[in-house]
Amino acid sequence: MNFDARKYVIIVFIITVGIIYIVRLFFMQVIDDSWTLRAQEIAEKRKQIVPPRGAIFDRNGVKVVSNRTYYNLMFIEDEVKNLDTAAFAQVLGWSKDSIAIRFKEIIKEQGTYRDKNDNYKTKSNYQSDRPYAFIKEMTLEEIATIAPHLDKFPGFYEEITSMRSYTYPNGANIFGYLSEVNEEEINEDHFYRRSDNIGRAGIERFYEKELRGQKGIRYIVTSARNNELKPYMDGIYDTIAKQGPNFKLGIDILLQEYGEKLMNGKRGCIVAIEPSTGEILALVSSPTYDPNLMVGNRNIAKNYPKLILDKDMPLFPRPLAAEYPPGSIFKLLQSLIGLQEGVITPNSGFPCNKSMVGCHNHPSAGNLSDAIKFSCNPYYYAVTRRILQQGKKTSVFADAEIGLNKWYQYMMSFGLGQKFDADATGLRPGLIPNSAYYDKWYGHLRWAFSTIRSISIGQGEVKLTPLQMANIACIIANKGWYYTPHFVKSIGQKGSLLQFRIKHRSMIDSKHFDPIIEGMRRVVYVNGGTGGKAKINNEEKIIVCGKTGTVQNPQGEDHAVFTCFAPMDKPKIAIAVFIENAGFGGTWAAPTASLMIEKYLTRKVKDKEKEKRILEASFKK
Amino acid sequence: MRQGEKLTTNLDWPLLITYFLFLIMGMATVYSTSLDPDHPNLFDYSQKYGKQVVWLGVSLFLGLMVFLIDSTIYRKFAVPIYISTLVLLVIVLFMPPINGARAWLQIGGFGIQPAEFAKTGTALLLARYISSLNIKQQNLNSVLVANAIMFVPMILILLQPDAGTFVVFTSFLFVMYREGLTYDPLVLKLVNMIPGVKFKQTWVGTHFIPIMFAIVFLCIVTLLLSNNIITFNFLPGVEIPGFFGVILSLVVFCLIAFLFLRFISTKRERRRISTVIIIAFVLSASIASSVNYLFQGLKKHQKDRIELFLGLREDPNGEDYNRNRAMAAVGSGGLAGKGYTNASVATIESNHVPESETDFIFCPFAEEWGFIGTFILIGMYMFMFLRIIMIAERQRSRFNRVYAYSVVMILFYHLAVNIGMNIGFAPVIGIPLPFFSYGGSSMMSFSMLMFILLKLDSQRSHVLQ
Repeated sequence: MNFDARKYVIIVFIITVGIIYIVRLFFMQVIDDSWTLRAQEIAEKRKQIVPPRGAIFDRNGVKVVSNRTYYNLMFIEDEVKNLDTAAFAQVLGWSKDSIAIRFKEIIKEQGTYRDKNDNYKTKSNYQSDRPYAFIKEMTLEEIATIAPHLDKFPGFYEEITSMRSYTYPNGANIFGYLSEVNEEEINEDHFYRRSDNIGRAGIERFYEKELRGQKGIRYIVTSARNNELKPYMDGIYDTIAKQGPNFKLGIDILLQEYGEKLMNGKRGCIVAIEPSTGEILALVSSPTYDPNLMVGNRNIAKNYPKLILDKDMPLFPRPLAAEYPPGSIFKLLQSLIGLQEGVITPNSGFPCNKSMVGCHNHPSAGNLSDAIKFSCNPYYYAVTRRILQQGKKTSVFADAEIGLNKWYQYMMSFGLGQKFDADATGLRPGLIPNSAYYDKWYGHLRWAFSTIRSISIGQGEVKLTPLQMANIACIIANKGWYYTPHFVKSIGQKGSLLQFRIKHRSMIDSKHFDPIIEGMRRVVYVNGGTGGKAKINNEEKIIVCGKTGTVQNPQGEDHAVFTCFAPMDKPKIAIAVFIENAGFGGTWAAPTASLMIEKYLTRKVKDKEKEKRILEASFKK
Repeated sequence: MRQGEKLTTNLDWPLLITYFLFLIMGMATVYSTSLDPDHPNLFDYSQKYGKQVVWLGVSLFLGLMVFLIDSTIYRKFAVPIYISTLVLLVIVLFMPPINGARAWLQIGGFGIQPAEFAKTGTALLLARYISSLNIKQQNLNSVLVANAIMFVPMILILLQPDAGTFVVFTSFLFVMYREGLTYDPLVLKLVNMIPGVKFKQTWVGTHFIPIMFAIVFLCIVTLLLSNNIITFNFLPGVEIPGFFGVILSLVVFCLIAFLFLRFISTKRERRRISTVIIIAFVLSASIASSVNYLFQGLKKHQKDRIELFLGLREDPNGEDYNRNRAMAAVGSGGLAGKGYTNASVATIESNHVPESETDFIFCPFAEEWGFIGTFILIGMYMFMFLRIIMIAERQRSRFNRVYAYSVVMILFYHLAVNIGMNIGFAPVIGIPLPFFSYGGSSMMSFSMLMFILLKLDSQRSHVLQ
């Protein structure tokens, strides 16, 4: 019998297997990508390099926010072998028990996290083959005592991290602070990995995307024991980390420092703006805190509870978010609207008739500028009545509705009753009532000027933030326009954001500003003016134009407010000072503003008496 | 050696050159996967590649020895050689186990694996026994004797235990099949016990071996693919259910087989071939369907076990950990590979794929050279196997032919199982890739197999054995 044909069975068998294997390899290697991904998962580590955040400079080029290198003591549990707890504790300077406690703590930290609503959620994320920080954010001195011994403790290693450092202990509410990202933020933005930092307030938060820079990624071949062996493919896929650009602020850090000093012991704020650009020169919120207290998670854990529980609310950015009745400084706007509407002229006079509202003792104002000088309440009742009740409808209620809505339009054009599109977080809009607002309170056509007359003098429903108060001074200094107040002058090579280069015009023609400015000068320089203490050095070289205000406070002592700009002919600075419970505006707010102006324009303060008086004053209970 | 003959007379150069190409490629891969940057010298004896160079030298020296000895010695001494390998297989069972197997004999500083040499011994004795039979003697007795020659070393190897080499020994079944020694006498004996039945030959018994292997292979492939949905990244939206893919592949294979057989067959045989192929298709399709159906009907824990065995599930602590990583290494090679010495998964240093210089050496090769490399590699093996079959068929001596078939089937088994476990077609049983894997015993034994074959072939005209 001949079995030769059987060789074909064997040949077919061999060739079939060969073809099947080649087809299978073609699928695995060329068509199916999943094995490539699997290989990356197994053998490559994507190592993120987090660049330092962009540095921040003040308007004079002083570096106000920089970065410092800190060290984390990291560990990977799977690589920790035969840990000599006693020796390790000795190196760290800890007690022996605290080592085990810390390990438990880390696992717990990974098990619970706080979401954006501050609710604690539980989810076990701890993985024994991942690195975690055993001790976070050690200084060079701290790590220097530990690092030489680390080779005795396999699985532990040091890692460099960069954190903020503040040259001056000022401006905390401007800069904001950083803290670790939460779970939600990691899910929303794939830029972040666990234990990355994110801006939590102020400029750090608003400009987070610019400041954080670009992460670099290094692809590293790792062994099954998770050792790093070499760059993957000689590093051709690696990307370089890029630090965020340098920021230049409009803030003058020395002015800011001075302002915070002046406001020490007081609750309130100072906002200084350069009228020609809208750049914020100083933004003092008092009381405040040293921004260095909120650097790093160790400090935050220690200091944040104290700050958040402080009844004076140092974390609250008052200039942006506190809404106060403006008081008498509101009269400036009523005057402007009155002139624009043609219901008064610069020479209009009204008697100081105290039948409807009280006033301090002064002669009746014969013209508008004197009315500002005296800050005459009855005068502004009369002006506002004329604005609101123009007699366009026979019904006094319908007439008031038309008048108020017109008035509301004017107020909106001053940037009031709305949030500025500024580069800050936590801004509040303040409140300017319109007809809909009062309809809700009193019912449609159930109110007229007499019902809502307290808005005439900046009381009642009207509320402004100190930033808006300072912006009023800017508008007057510019005779009718303003740029949105903002912090950042330039980002890297680029200028400020586009929205800060758009000129906003109020509805007032520039010719109507002269009598107002004259009135503001008289407030400071003419006898009987309410703001005589705002004079600088009792000289008249730098002419300050201002307006005092005293905000009635049913809860306690009145609030003092002063808004002004200087010099009169070429305004370089516009300021609003608001001091809670300080009483009459001319007594405390006006001199504080004048000191700020002097400091900014002459770089030094000559009138030490005045300075000392302000520094020593305290209105906190 | 006859007067006036040179060593190279009648030498089969294509086979020898392919062998040397494999040595070079294998050496390069061992070097790449176990490269220690501090010791880049290929001849650094402290490194694996340094040792492998020594093994290569020893193997080539042994090959030269083989060439100097007259080929008749292998026939004459087949029995002593076989018995001495058996003795070694027994001795090794009393050695201390290494990695859980008593597979190593320590001689001086070297360890050798008798199982590797047992293949040669068995091949020689089987060749001698089969060549001593004439056609009429091919009855139940001779089948049992031939099987005994195969099974005795197999059982000793299983005792070590060394599942890989155990499986490889079944390759001799194909050799017997080629020579007409099949299980047919056994089947006939059983079937004819039924009253009234008197077969002279059963088709099933005769072709039992290839059918069994085809069925096992088909079952594995069906199970592997039936749960998948085949997608193509260049044809988005096209999804082929895995089982449909199996049937489709069967159709394609049958067509290819049909055309191939048409090409080599005579006109007379064509009808028969068509019938066989149609029957084969229907049978395999129904086997695939029933495997698929049975698998879907299994309980979950049974399914899990099978899926684990097939590597469809990842079992981080079990053997499948290795295969999953091996497949990742192979699959990540892409079309053109990551480049020589650029493997990231399959290196000794990274150690994601264990044994990447021995049993999993296909991984670094596939990772570094990509599909182009693996295609060429498998193509070269296919060429080598067909060349050996060609050599086998040109022998006048039945001894030589049986021996040559033993060599090709042993090599083929090694290739199929070794690469199979790298691509998820075979369970992880440790056997080396011929001429590639690091290791002295396997290198020497494969080289001996090859050189004995070349020597026998070069003297094919001398003897009429």
